Amino acid sequence: MIDRAALSNPRTHYGSGKAATRGFVLQRLTGALNVAFTLFFVWFVVNLAGADRAHFIETVRNPGIAVILCLLIINVCIHMRIGMREVIEDYISEGPRNRLALVANTTFAVLVAVVTILTIAKIVFWG
Amino acid sequence: MPARSRPLSPHLSIYRFTLTMANSVIHRGTGMAMYAGTLLIVLWLGAAALGEGPFALVSAVYGFWLVQVVFFLATWALFHHMLGGIRHFVWDSIHALDPMGRETITRVQWALSIILTLGAWALFVWFK
Repeated sequence: MIDRAALSNPRTHYGSGKAATRGFVLQRLTGALNVAFTLFFVWFVVNLAGADRAHFIETVRNPGIAVILCLLIINVCIHMRIGMREVIEDYISEGPRNRLALVANTTFAVLVAVVTILTIAKIVFWG
Repeated sequence: MPARSRPLSPHLSIYRFTLTMANSVIHRGTGMAMYAGTLLIVLWLGAAALGEGPFALVSAVYGFWLVQVVFFLATWALFHHMLGGIRHFVWDSIHALDPMGRETITRVQWALSIILTLGAWALFVWFK
């Protein structure tokens, strides 16, 4: 019934046949990148904490900084989505609540990334 | 074949309290706190994009002492979670998995996260 063939066949949904391996690898890849992004983010916040809007806009309009900020938020959102997914899988049993939580998690991660990038685009192109 | 439900994680209270166990919970806690904390970045950039008024308002709110306390804790959460991730890379490479090693790198993680947080605030905020 549950033999090696059933476990290794992703169609049976036994074992971890959904997104576990991809999640494991992506979590570590985005995590390693986040170490570099953290250093950038600390510099960014230290530089702009309490700054007036003119200085803030001028800094974010720099193409290099704008691109790094966009990559940072995408990387962070991928990382945090996988992390929250693990918590949901650990503590909410499979069923409608689990699926709703997973959809809400994805929606939140995508929204944070999209809104941040749109905001940066607005600042870069229109000030 | 109908899919069998995957098992849940046992409730936290069944574990014996140890340093690495507590730190595992804290790693998740800091991760989930920063998950919500991304909204602070959205709010900051969003206010800047909207104009002078909203940016001045958000800057004033972010400068309020209670919010500054949140930022101080967020700095520690960021460093602690980052160092926790690096610790997981050490474990992934099959190092420091023995009782002595895993306790030691967890203590090192705590020491470094506190030093980095106090250092960053001392350097960039308190004695700027």
